[in-house]
Amino acid sequence: MSYLLRTLTKKPELDHAIRDTIDKVLVLRFGRASDAVCLQLDDLLAKSAREVSKFVDIALVDIDSEDVQVYVKYFDITLIPSIVFFFNAHHMKMDSGTADHTKWIGSFQRKQDFIDVVEAICRGAMKGKLIVNCPLPPERIPRYQLLFKDI
Amino acid sequence: MSEEQKKSKKKKKKKRESEFEFCAVCKLNHDRGRSHKYLPNHTKSLTNFLSRFLQKLSDVRFFLRNPALLRPEHASRNRLWCVFCDSDVQELDSLFACGNAIRHLASSEHLKNLKDFLWKHGGGMDRVDAFRVSESDFTKWEKRCVSLKDTPAATSNGRSYGPSMGPLKDIHTDVSSDNRDSFEQSSSQCFISNVSNGFLPLQDFTRERIQVSQSLVHDSANSSRVQEEAAGLPVGMVGSGNFMKGLKANGDDQCLMDHSINSSHSRTTCSEMVHQFGRNVTGNISDPVLQSLTSISLPMGEASGNVHSGAPPPWLEGNGDNQLNHASISGFSSKNSRKTSKLNPKRVGAAWAEKRKVELEMERRGELVPNNLNADWLPNFGRVWQFGSRKESRKEFETEKTKSVTVSNISETPIKLQPYVSKRMRRNDDGRVGDVHSEDAS
Repeated sequence: MSYLLRTLTKKPELDHAIRDTIDKVLVLRFGRASDAVCLQLDDLLAKSAREVSKFVDIALVDIDSEDVQVYVKYFDITLIPSIVFFFNAHHMKMDSGTADHTKWIGSFQRKQDFIDVVEAICRGAMKGKLIVNCPLPPERIPRYQLLFKDI
Repeated sequence: MSEEQKKSKKKKKKKRESEFEFCAVCKLNHDRGRSHKYLPNHTKSLTNFLSRFLQKLSDVRFFLRNPALLRPEHASRNRLWCVFCDSDVQELDSLFACGNAIRHLASSEHLKNLKDFLWKHGGGMDRVDAFRVSESDFTKWEKRCVSLKDTPAATSNGRSYGPSMGPLKDIHTDVSSDNRDSFEQSSSQCFISNVSNGFLPLQDFTRERIQVSQSLVHDSANSSRVQEEAAGLPVGMVGSGNFMKGLKANGDDQCLMDHSINSSHSRTTCSEMVHQFGRNVTGNISDPVLQSLTSISLPMGEASGNVHSGAPPPWLEGNGDNQLNHASISGFSSKNSRKTSKLNPKRVGAAWAEKRKVELEMERRGELVPNNLNADWLPNFGRVWQFGSRKESRKEFETEKTKSVTVSNISETPIKLQPYVSKRMRRNDDGRVGDVHSEDAS
């Protein structure tokens, strides 16, 4: 499914994507094209990309690429797929009741869930908020175990 | 008002030339005098005007950096309209691509006109260098051009074979200078050497055979030339037009021209052609002919490979990531160029967005050079246990990175040290080990 969306494999490409996406939510999906959950998420992203294209840019990042390891480390990507949101080169957080507010880990159950999430982020960002609450009910938020190193 | 102006443009221009003048940038007559150049409309159209010319100049600059020979058939298309001098720079008589344009851009006349233009229309005198070719660049370009001219002579070991050498080398790299020497000794030998190198002409077998017959008839020095030139014929398929032009310049054999234009591959024609050409070359080994031939056959010698030698086409070669990069960048910028007027000024990163928009716009117009980002650039990112501003987490990450580097350095060194056995121990143990060690040390 990854071929339907722009895939970034180099750090400069990622830099440009983050810097040059202005007044739009940038959705960066970190993952591996062959992973089963990633496949499902990519399908969902590809299908909704056009509908949300007015306020969202979606880009896939291949975590196996050597050149993006800096970002993988910087964003603490330990589980895939992980989605990081940016708005005007500012990182957007989402409080979804899970351990990690900095990114969305896992897939969405349906297309509408993804659209709701990015809409919440876009609305929050337009009001100047750097963190927003998740609009989804808890049963539709993927659960995961996060192990923290050095803490 | 403007329509009236247009209607009475000519009359007014004649009558009140002191008041009304024509602005070439805005393409309109005005009576504002010097203050016209500060009008927003004028500045806008000036940036457009200059950026359009800059785009054209970027092509010229490409050839300034890597000079290439200009094929006569392309000469008519390669031209430049200099907006500052109001003149059309033709390339019909130049050997190199954009040669006349580069010479024009480096000329003092162009500089004068350019300064006049910038003074009259504004646009900053500090941008003079963007619209002209500096002298140092020009001398560099000239040097490269000279070396480009000389290359075939250099490869042919200083002999005057130049013309056919390029294409020959191109396709059969194993035709070495040794075989060249054998050419001079005897014609039959040279054919044998060709066969041993697996040389097959690309166009026609008949030509090869005729060459042989021709070369057998001629005396040795003669035939070597025939061989040389005729071998160049089938190989230089693309450049054959140029080749014939070179002949035309000589002005001896019109019938030869006709034959070649008809491109008849019949045996008689070919033999005639080769024969005549052989006589031609041996008759007057005049420098102009050889020079013109040299310059034309050069592009083939320059190229690393072509269709015939099985090289990959240029659009499949490398730079893939570059194109990708450009595509993604342009995609982003085009998307962002839409107007977002009614946005909350307090939205996240509003200041950044405004700043970046201006930068992108300027990059698009060519006013600002798209500065290559620092390779270590990272966005602000709030980590899970981060507290404080998001800039701090980036700083934290950077310190972590430097720490990890130093830690890895330290951790590597002890591993190297562990198998170390002191010299004294080794000497006591065994003489051989000591020897090995001394070898290592040396």
